[in-house]
Amino acid sequence: MTRRGLWIGLALAALTAVLLFVLASGFGRDPHEVPFQLRGKPAPDFTLKRLDNGAPVKLADLKGKPVVLNFWASWCGPCKVEHPVIAWGARKFGQEAQFYGVVFEDTEENARAFAGAPDPSFPQLIDDRSRMAVDYGVTGVPETYFIDAAGILRDKVAAPVDPQTLAAKIASLKRPGPVSEVVR
Amino acid sequence: MTTLVLTLVLSSYAPQQAGSALLDPPREARVQALGKQLRCPMCQGLSIADSSSSAARAQMDKVRELVAAGKSDQEIRDYFTSRYGEWALLEPPASGMNILVWILPLLLLVGGGLAIARTMRRPVPPAPPAAPEARPASEDPYLEAVRAELRR
Repeated sequence: MTRRGLWIGLALAALTAVLLFVLASGFGRDPHEVPFQLRGKPAPDFTLKRLDNGAPVKLADLKGKPVVLNFWASWCGPCKVEHPVIAWGARKFGQEAQFYGVVFEDTEENARAFAGAPDPSFPQLIDDRSRMAVDYGVTGVPETYFIDAAGILRDKVAAPVDPQTLAAKIASLKRPGPVSEVVR
Repeated sequence: MTTLVLTLVLSSYAPQQAGSALLDPPREARVQALGKQLRCPMCQGLSIADSSSSAARAQMDKVRELVAAGKSDQEIRDYFTSRYGEWALLEPPASGMNILVWILPLLLLVGGGLAIARTMRRPVPPAPPAAPEARPASEDPYLEAVRAELRR
């Protein structure tokens, strides 16, 4: 092989390697998976009114104790399956974390009928025009966000949460550092 | 089972809050143009301006709110990428690793073109003299007779 042929071969091999790297990095992840960019960052502040009595709830006032935010809607089938799990979590871990539901893209009337009927065990908040949901990077419902006592967004579950996962996530809020993300 | 599937499929497109009021025409045109650049998180390759899903509706309302607040186009794109990553952009910027996606096809095209041009410029070597066709002698006398008849 001539010296020139060797260089051309090396260049082609390098280009192929780069192409393979790009393809491998692209095919290695789920294209539907939306990155969770706010992990480890301060949770966006909000002031929302409670669905039951209209009282304002401000995130800044909740600091000092972990917060679990569950986004849901009355029109969402998986939310109906998930709601009893969150209600159970609120009863079981109520001493360790503050549980709030956030109504996503729904009417107050429908949300009240949904939240009031099965179990009004944790406060529900109304998010007008879903402004706060988009601030949190919500991609759909149900999604559950975990905020530590210092107000740092530590994790999210972008799927109906099960009791084991909920217990593990709440336990992880006491440990330093981020935990794994569960994606729908 | 059918009910479960229908519930899961339709839940993304269910009745929802009414969208926010449209802005004045020039600013609403900006909202729609920005919406065309942002990817709907619940759809396959659709922009939030083209999707009727609840998440896209919520994001369009946010774009409208940010435009009304006087934010620039870049500030609004930054708002979405800070929450959803570059995934949120239907056309990723040509920088960082993304630059490879733009440059590699061009490099391969230029390289391929050069290789073809080089091959076409090279003189065609004279064809080697054709070797006499070796005909295996048939052991079948009948076949040999037929061939001899055909050759006559």
